[in-house]
Amino acid sequence: MKGLGSRIFGWEFALVLLIALAAAWSTYLSPYYLTVEQILYSTRHFVFPGLLALGLAVVVILGEIDISLASILAVGAVLLAKASAFGLPIVVAAPFVVCVCACLGGLNGALVARLGLPSLAVTVGTMGAYRGLAFIIGSETGYTDFDASYAYVGATRLGGLVPVSFLVFLALALAVGFLMERTVFGRRCYSVGNNKEAAWIAGVDVARLKIEAFALGGALAGLAALVWVGQYGSARGDNADGSILFVVTAVVLGGIDINGGRGRIAGVVLALFLLGTIRNGMGLANIGGPTQTVVLGLLLIIGVLRPVILNAVGRLRRMGPSGARSTLAD
Amino acid sequence: MGMHTKTIAAAALLALALGGPALAKDSGFKLMMTPKWTGFPYFEAAGRGGKDAAAELGDTFVYAGADHADVSLQVETLENFLTQKPDGIMLAAIDLNAVAPVLKQARAAGVVVTTFDADAATEARDMFVNQLSYKQAAQTMLDCALLDAPEGGEVAFVAASPTAPNHTAHIKYMKEFIANDPKYKVFTVVDTQYANDDDAKSYDVAINLMQAHPNLKVIISSSAVSAPAAARAIKSSGHAGKVFSTGFALPSAIKDYLMDGSEKAFALWNPYELGYLAAYVTHLKLAGKLDIKPGVTFTAGKAGSSTVGEQGEIVYGKPLIFTKETVDKAGF
Repeated sequence: MKGLGSRIFGWEFALVLLIALAAAWSTYLSPYYLTVEQILYSTRHFVFPGLLALGLAVVVILGEIDISLASILAVGAVLLAKASAFGLPIVVAAPFVVCVCACLGGLNGALVARLGLPSLAVTVGTMGAYRGLAFIIGSETGYTDFDASYAYVGATRLGGLVPVSFLVFLALALAVGFLMERTVFGRRCYSVGNNKEAAWIAGVDVARLKIEAFALGGALAGLAALVWVGQYGSARGDNADGSILFVVTAVVLGGIDINGGRGRIAGVVLALFLLGTIRNGMGLANIGGPTQTVVLGLLLIIGVLRPVILNAVGRLRRMGPSGARSTLAD
Repeated sequence: MGMHTKTIAAAALLALALGGPALAKDSGFKLMMTPKWTGFPYFEAAGRGGKDAAAELGDTFVYAGADHADVSLQVETLENFLTQKPDGIMLAAIDLNAVAPVLKQARAAGVVVTTFDADAATEARDMFVNQLSYKQAAQTMLDCALLDAPEGGEVAFVAASPTAPNHTAHIKYMKEFIANDPKYKVFTVVDTQYANDDDAKSYDVAINLMQAHPNLKVIISSSAVSAPAAARAIKSSGHAGKVFSTGFALPSAIKDYLMDGSEKAFALWNPYELGYLAAYVTHLKLAGKLDIKPGVTFTAGKAGSSTVGEQGEIVYGKPLIFTKETVDKAGF
């Protein structure tokens, strides 16, 4: 277990180093980067993918995947639009929308857990189905007339400086991190991700756990929708279409093992900061879209190669001053 | 003069130069342009036009954006522009409302905002350089449809999305012309579909339209991505000669279809000049040489003279129709 722990800590440390490097690179690329206001303002672009990434991380730790989360966000956004058009107060609309999105996530979970279907296949299907649902609810024109209370989370900055949505993200990151590290639910997720059969034999209700995890992902997508409508002021069937790739990149780069059972939420948060810093820096330097895509693709590859990198680092560490002799002796 | 007097005189002159009456700056502006997405020859040509206009006028020019049409990425690009404190921003908006908050912020900070090709919400921008007036665009596309099918028939429209104001306006006027103008009465509108300026989606939409409407005669697309994709769909599904695709398209994209006869006519305008004009008018406004009121005329270098229309709209108004005979002369 100790070796496992130090391997995981090693990755988070690497991410922190990379963030510092990325910040330095961004400062070099553009004179506009290094101000508190700018950096805080730029976090807004990573809040809605970040919330989706938190949800996806839990599901991936469990050994599954959910690529329909961006479509669930769209359903949430258009439902908020309907609620706003009806004049529902936000304190009623928001919980309602989060519940509906949780149900959509839960449906994914039920299809995976109760029917035993592979989650990638299921969520590819629901990715399209929920997107279609969003288009049906939202109609093609979409909705833009949100009143101030709906836009509060996505659009306000406390003291004109700190985006409320960023604070919401931090709070949820802490909550989900606590959930995974310190609660029975979290521990069960890791155990199922590591060895589903052993967990089941040990008495874990695997099916129910999966449904809960998928529902959590859906709920977080619903919250992401709330941020979205405030930030972009527009709710339409195609909201967040295509963003799931970025979300998966953040999760994989954060050290969550795609096969399940390993990785920490802290890693995902750090990965989001890293991706955010790089994209912000490149954006301010007006670096072209294709180049940005290449850089992000490389980061995804690094994330996937993480176990290989860590293995190599571990071996170098073990070699040490006397290690060279011992490996020769093998 | 003594040493002290000289120093005082020099200091006085310097103070006058710096603190004297502000000379209206008429060059050296920082212009930034973002298209719907980069890498598409149409927008790249507009970018080149903007760059040349800026170079001609002594301004700096930046052309940047995401490599696919994504609303949140366009908003991010605009926010990054704003952080770099530009003087003028030019854009082709993907979603007219989603970009409104950041553009309003820009205008509040004194930045001149010009839209071109695809407009944003009216109160979010200073000017809109429209390639053709919406009516003119509608008429041009219908004229091309007549070249394809002089005897008329069923037509279907393909647009980017319902929040693309230019496309929806084109469709609205095309429907009006078909209903009221005797020249176009030969057509009947059977469907309107949206393809998000996406090539694969446009192809699928065209196939679906032909399946859903067996007597379909012409697919008319406002989107320069959808028109060639529809032509491809028509050819590969064996409908060439029975169904036609027309609308706006880059000559390089539809040249083959015109040459082999499966299509007869497409239209467009010169995107290079459009971008050139957008940058030019932004510069004129910054230099205080352009009053944005209906009826004001001005000259924009190589693009010639233009008049400001209602609500800050400046119509470039030079449609080009490409047929087998004329497509090679386009030069782009």
